[in-house]
Amino acid sequence: MHTQLDVNGRAYALDHDPRTTLLDALRDHIGLYGTKKGCDHGQCGACTVLVNGRRINSCLTLAAMHDGDEITTVEGLGEPGALAPLQQAFVDCDGYQCGYCTPGQIMSATGMLEEAKAGDPSHVSASLSGDVALDDSEIAERMSGNLCRCSAYPFIRQAIHSVEGKE
Amino acid sequence: MYAFEIERPTSLSDAVSALKAEGAQALGGGQTLIPSLKARLAMPEVLVSLSAIDEIKGICTDDEGRICIGGGTPHGRVAAELKDSYPALASLAARIGDPAVRNRGTIGGSLANNDPSACWPAAALASDAVIKTDRREIAADDFFAGLFETVLEEGEIVTEVRFPVPQAANYQKFAQPASRFALVGVFVAKYEAGVRVAVTGASESGVFRWTEAEEKLSSDFSAAALEGLSHAAEGMIGDLHGTPAYRAHLIGVLTKRAVAAAG
Amino acid sequence: MSVATPLPHDSAPLHVTGRARYVDDIPAPAGTLHLAFGLSPIARGRIKAMDLAAVRAAPGVVRVLTREDLPNACDTSPSAHDEPLLAEGEVFYAGQAVFLVIATSHLAARKAARLGKVEYEEMEPLLSYDETLAAGAEFEAEPRVWQKGDAGAAIAAAPRRLTGRIEIGGQEHFYLEGQAALAIPDDGGAMHVVTSTQHPTEIQHKVADALGLPMAMVRSECRRMGGGFGGKESQGNALAVACAVAAKLTGRACKMRYDRDDDMVITGKRHDFRIDYDVGYDDGGRIAGIDFTQVTRGGWSMDLTLPVADRAMLHADNAYHLPACRITSHRLRTNMCSATAYRGFGGPQGVLGIERMMDEIAHVLGIDPVEVRRVNYYADCAGGGGGGGPSAPRSAAPSPPERYLEQDRSPGSGHAMSGALAGAGKRFGAEHSPVARPVEPQTTPYGMEVKDFLLNGMTAKLLADCDYAGRRAAIRAWNERSPILKRGIGFSPVKFGISFTLTHLNQAGALVHVYQDGSIHLNHGGTEMGQGLFQKVAQVAAARFGVDVAQVRITATDTAKVPNTSATAASSGTDLNGMAAMAACDAIRERMAECLAGLHQAKPEAVVFEGGEVRVGEAAMSFAQAATLCYENRVSLSATGFYRTPDLAWDRIRGQGRPFFYFAHGCAVTEVAIDTLTGENRILRADILHDVGASLNPAIDRGQIEGGYVQGAGWLTTEELVWDDKGRLRTHAPSTYKIPACSDRPPVFNVELWDGENPEATIYRSKAVGEPPFMLGISAFLALSDACAACGPHYPALDAPATAERVLAAVKRARG
Repeated sequence: MHTQLDVNGRAYALDHDPRTTLLDALRDHIGLYGTKKGCDHGQCGACTVLVNGRRINSCLTLAAMHDGDEITTVEGLGEPGALAPLQQAFVDCDGYQCGYCTPGQIMSATGMLEEAKAGDPSHVSASLSGDVALDDSEIAERMSGNLCRCSAYPFIRQAIHSVEGKE
Repeated sequence: MYAFEIERPTSLSDAVSALKAEGAQALGGGQTLIPSLKARLAMPEVLVSLSAIDEIKGICTDDEGRICIGGGTPHGRVAAELKDSYPALASLAARIGDPAVRNRGTIGGSLANNDPSACWPAAALASDAVIKTDRREIAADDFFAGLFETVLEEGEIVTEVRFPVPQAANYQKFAQPASRFALVGVFVAKYEAGVRVAVTGASESGVFRWTEAEEKLSSDFSAAALEGLSHAAEGMIGDLHGTPAYRAHLIGVLTKRAVAAAG
Repeated sequence: MSVATPLPHDSAPLHVTGRARYVDDIPAPAGTLHLAFGLSPIARGRIKAMDLAAVRAAPGVVRVLTREDLPNACDTSPSAHDEPLLAEGEVFYAGQAVFLVIATSHLAARKAARLGKVEYEEMEPLLSYDETLAAGAEFEAEPRVWQKGDAGAAIAAAPRRLTGRIEIGGQEHFYLEGQAALAIPDDGGAMHVVTSTQHPTEIQHKVADALGLPMAMVRSECRRMGGGFGGKESQGNALAVACAVAAKLTGRACKMRYDRDDDMVITGKRHDFRIDYDVGYDDGGRIAGIDFTQVTRGGWSMDLTLPVADRAMLHADNAYHLPACRITSHRLRTNMCSATAYRGFGGPQGVLGIERMMDEIAHVLGIDPVEVRRVNYYADCAGGGGGGGPSAPRSAAPSPPERYLEQDRSPGSGHAMSGALAGAGKRFGAEHSPVARPVEPQTTPYGMEVKDFLLNGMTAKLLADCDYAGRRAAIRAWNERSPILKRGIGFSPVKFGISFTLTHLNQAGALVHVYQDGSIHLNHGGTEMGQGLFQKVAQVAAARFGVDVAQVRITATDTAKVPNTSATAASSGTDLNGMAAMAACDAIRERMAECLAGLHQAKPEAVVFEGGEVRVGEAAMSFAQAATLCYENRVSLSATGFYRTPDLAWDRIRGQGRPFFYFAHGCAVTEVAIDTLTGENRILRADILHDVGASLNPAIDRGQIEGGYVQGAGWLTTEELVWDDKGRLRTHAPSTYKIPACSDRPPVFNVELWDGENPEATIYRSKAVGEPPFMLGISAFLALSDACAACGPHYPALDAPATAERVLAAVKRARG
């Protein structure tokens, strides 16, 4: 079948099997290898991308479901030499070790910061209403869908904090 | 995955028609169905994606003061929008899966699937909710029919779920740490007509109401009222995450905590 | 100066923009084929019939191979040659590869593999400890037994005695990047393999054997792994060999990666253990003698079970001086996946055995568990390090580290060093002054002298800094008033031996080129799996040439550049490869110094390489200009480097000698809370003090310490592996196997590096840091035990992993 995907501001016309997940479409059809396949079951978060600004696991959705959606992958955030603030923060804080979960962490954090700005509560939010104060426990809870086996969590959280403006 | 075709209707009526085809199955957020397809546990011939149907998304309040959640509404949206009007429901939605899952998974999909460890069935049952489909309205008490079974007919779509707002409510969830599904989840809701206690994650028959607890709580809504009451281990799930006895024990503990937290 | 500097891991801009390539991201040649295994669903049986017609006919399938189609067994074992690539008529575990599918896409290969119809005559698998012991199914003819003194007599004569048992679960590596390999056929039958592996040389070796080629015809590479943790020390062999065999057969590039579920089913895990202890001690908790029996399930093939089980024995003493000790170790052969290397490599299991024993002694005596530790600690000792004690003769010729030490200590040395290292080395933290200094150092149960024991001072500092005593008292008071939630606090130390116990593995090589424009190409045998090895060695190279680390180009590990390398394992990567790189750099630098000195009528010792410049007398030039000048004067600007760890001598049968070059130390205090009604538990706070010698890179070391602690805590709490009674792994996905997530690390997490230098001549006097911090997670387990013990009079006897249900059971046991 045919699907038009808008990825990082560029249109791609794909001819693909209906069963192709968005993750496989990005990697195998479009050749964007930044988004990683960690488990293929939506449990690890390594495949996180933004769809219309919201973070999702790209292995848990079909490419066909996103005709007309705006998709952002890690390659679309910034480039070496022109890094987005969050990417720069991960460099400055050494927020990675083996690096495999890093694209997913950065995409998830990008989506997360938007959710917090919009006032979406989390399970640990002191109250479910009102503005969200992104302290350390909030960041930790909101990032709990992105596994890092190297456990670079402390520096990951520091990187996110630094962009949020709260240390 | 086995081969299928996919359709993406933009209206409910188009979806209803598409689902009349042989081997057609509705696809909500895909957070459960897609892993099932990958594991070849499901083999539809046609997937009818509901994600482009705006008319089944959204949250509003009806004339009777019930909260109406469109079947295609993602959990994240429920968590964000219900924090003031029905906080226990918002809190339940905020704890499903993880943030990325909550951006896609829908209430309609969760109820239609009736996973024995899912959270939404407990909320619907405890709230005496009404599940509205494309062809009828079904009371929650009549909706769930066992493990992964509901009374929905072929091609029937959950379009909206209507929740009466209780006087007090709370959802206690002991999560299976890896999957974040409920190892045991208890939703307690207090209405003028009485107290309802719905338990998920525990029983081999899926979500159920703990009627003995409901009787005690309806006359005395306090954790103390449940003193000495425990749930039998028989019929409870035993798997690599917990024994039947452990689950039965957790039902008692979580129900008391839900009552205490409901205030 | 680049050493002792907190620089980030290498390739930062590539990682954060998704441009860092792992094996599956490498653009593969056109026509690349994809492989998948058909796996055995049963744990033990004979193959009666195999009907693969449907597999061969499936869309996209090019070839299907069984054992008969292979030129030889294509063994993939790192040790006993007991792992044929494809089953030879019999299967020994659920997940063993029975046939190999070669197809035009990854999905096509996996789908086709499902269509195989294999008939088995099922046999009874050996799964449990007891049934396997009873059957005598062990990897060695006899259990390994090491002794020091007469443990039996010491125990019998002691005023008190207790026996106990702890069951310790295994662990799944869950590297985020699964196993992957790509083989590309080269001219004349040669083969090029790129693998996600910690051991490119072993890949090269196994591929060469499988293809019947000399090693020189096989090139094996790895630029980076998305995590290893020991899981890619030997487990990558099967994919690389399969790809190479398929590439040879088809003449096309072949790629293989395991789907996550398959990866978890096929590959080996951390060895699980059952440890029994019988200990004689006194009223003060001082140990007179211990008799340990350690039993481990090694799975169906030997793999690395012997050195893992040896290391568990080598760490049975942990930080404690045992006057008499007997350790019996059974290495069981079970019908499960082959347990393999995993961070700590048996050490954590051995340490946990004695830590649990100490915990129980403290409970029986009613004294602070920390006091039981301290009273048994090794004593501090006068004069340590610097080339080996009486048990190992000094090597005859000075090896590179000694030579550099001599040079660097002289004032006005031509080799600028970082301020922290100039002058005499620091031995201990300033506030630490050892009290008791016996003339003779104490020995471990295997006869190695313990000459540089730091834990007396480290323990004192950590306990004071984190207010252990105050918090312990506060927690006890809090528990009195809290019926449902209980808190616990636990302390654990670690003394971890650094070196491969197989002595000949303690060697490394490097290759360095300085190009005529002054840029530096660095290569060595170490592999990067996130531990920061590449960056650390680059820092060393930069320091030797006095340039910025950005001038050093880090390159993929490649058997075509450095041969005969050891695995990046045993935490030794930086030690070994850093020294080798240093040797190569120094060789080039000396040639440059000699050339430039000659051109300027100066002595070579007077040439200074610093700040990106080279200065000779009055003349100064950039390093690039110096390189150009040397090139024009026909000086070779390329060199290999080599290093072998000195002074090691180890007899693993007798259990005697010096298997380790030195020890790394650490200690941690963890505080937890448990819910006595559900067993749910949480880590509230961790305080860590860790010995990394003189840190090459404090940021990377801190990352290793934090990461190691969290992974160790996960091993002992939520990471539960479950096999069913038919020997099938039930926890084979992240939906059933829980590794620590962002919200699981302790909200208060304090990590400090102990200020000191390695008395042994290691690279810039640093210490290995990959594995030792893993064992600090044991303090979390002990804290949980403490919280359970707060519920009643009896010893909770908590087993690992301490899942919620196990904690609940321990609470009940405490209550009685």
